[in-house]
Amino acid sequence: MALVQRNIFKVSAILARCNFRTYSTPVEEKDIKKSVFISQSKDIFANLALENWLYKNFDFTNHHILMLWQNEPCVVIGRHQNPWLEANISELHNITEQGVKLARRNSGGGTVFHDQGNLNMTFFTARNRYNRKYNLEIITRALFREFGVKLQISPREDLTLRDCKVSGTAAKLGRPSAYHHCTLLVNVNKLCLSQALQKLDVGIQTNATKSIKSKIMNLCEENPKVNVKTLFKAIGWEYLRTPALTIKDGGMELANTQKGFQMINPTEQWFPGIEEMKDELQSWKWLYGKTPKFTISRSFTVPENLLINTDVPDDLKIAMVVENGKITDVNLFVPPGLVTGGFSGDVNVITSLIGQKFSEDVLDNLEWSLGALVSDKDKFVTDCVRQVMTSV
Amino acid sequence: MVVQRFIMCAANSVTKARILNQCRKQMTNRLIHTSRWMFAERLYTNKHEWVEVDGETGTIGISQYAQEALGDVVYAQLPDVDTVLKQKDECGALESVKAASEVYSPISGKVIEKNLNIEETPSLINSSCYDKGWLFKVKLSNKEELSGLMTEEQYNDFVKTQEH
Repeated sequence: MALVQRNIFKVSAILARCNFRTYSTPVEEKDIKKSVFISQSKDIFANLALENWLYKNFDFTNHHILMLWQNEPCVVIGRHQNPWLEANISELHNITEQGVKLARRNSGGGTVFHDQGNLNMTFFTARNRYNRKYNLEIITRALFREFGVKLQISPREDLTLRDCKVSGTAAKLGRPSAYHHCTLLVNVNKLCLSQALQKLDVGIQTNATKSIKSKIMNLCEENPKVNVKTLFKAIGWEYLRTPALTIKDGGMELANTQKGFQMINPTEQWFPGIEEMKDELQSWKWLYGKTPKFTISRSFTVPENLLINTDVPDDLKIAMVVENGKITDVNLFVPPGLVTGGFSGDVNVITSLIGQKFSEDVLDNLEWSLGALVSDKDKFVTDCVRQVMTSV
Repeated sequence: MVVQRFIMCAANSVTKARILNQCRKQMTNRLIHTSRWMFAERLYTNKHEWVEVDGETGTIGISQYAQEALGDVVYAQLPDVDTVLKQKDECGALESVKAASEVYSPISGKVIEKNLNIEETPSLINSSCYDKGWLFKVKLSNKEELSGLMTEEQYNDFVKTQEH
């Protein structure tokens, strides 16, 4: 018995060695070429689709890519985040002249704000070559070489300057490819940024990924010469003059052996299938429907004139459960002081909400279903429900 | 060594039940090769997922190596029940600090259960990746795929080649 087992071990050990050969196809550093792609689009959805297209279709085994891109004003939330918790959704269209778009990206991490004062970078590699630290080093070296600005890499792998964050970072790791992207604050409109990300506590409970609020700073505050246009070049060249796997300067000699800069247009002609990806990124299903399950609960003080029995003042409480962006449950606590013979409106209010998208559309529906309501009390309850929905 | 211990246990006239219990205990603590012939075996992919087959049901999780590489998992997105998966399909994601890692199904089948505990407490994947941190269960649709997966031992050798 023992002998047999030992033999089987030997066989499996040999098999394992075979596996070793088939799985690892070592690519030497000198065989990896690099390119810098500069996206010609300023549309967040087009750029995220481009990122996704490259991630899905490009073979990065022998060819690493740095994509540089910029966007019109937008808030970009992480893949597993709650937009109602992270962005000032109801106000976004009022911020800046053209309004601020909301997008959900494919990578993890927290929420960021982009405008033309940001530079975004995506570092694509094969999964086994993914190296966040390496990428951040490239950025710090570029800034130092071009502008003499010294950034720190924090233990959380954020780029900081004077203890303020100047960059947000996130990654998507798949097979066979991976990417790390980050945004650099150069001269972002800080007022718009804080307006777009400003959130009051709206009573949302969830285990979705939360953003960690940090103090931020623009690079131009440190050195007014820093600007996005120059940074494109500085970071692009730094990337090209650095070997693919180790941080050391290969100089222009190395940079000239690389594949260089390319202007990229994220259109269907260049990248077949990209339009579909873009549509998906803009769809309600992705933007809101992907939100991890959450509960939103609020309480409201009942106005005295509506109370039958003012001796027992109590709050009206509403709790809504939202799954895949749709309301799956509503709990209403109507204080005993508000009603005597039972609340007449609640059944209607609740049943008409379930299954609806958690958005303002629901309110129109609500209004319609309550159109015939006459009672002030019913109106008060409906108004409270409305507040839960519009406050987010 | 483990095998020897097993044989020694057998040689000692300890009651059968106790040997079995002992082995079982060892298996949950540290995987041993004898499990291959006695209990459901855990098989691995080169993407660091594992599957443990019991009859028609396969339980899927990620390996210790993968768990360590990820770091603290803060969110687990799992496939919904009734999702039909093909082998190597992207079927969920685990988010650790700032990174979302795709989960691929090691086998084809229909999802019959997902681990609701890890949706609530994703850190179970870090603390107990082979036990409480399982991800989802499928009803296998093609058992032949199992022969293409790695045994524990093959996988351990494979992991060694991954460290650079």
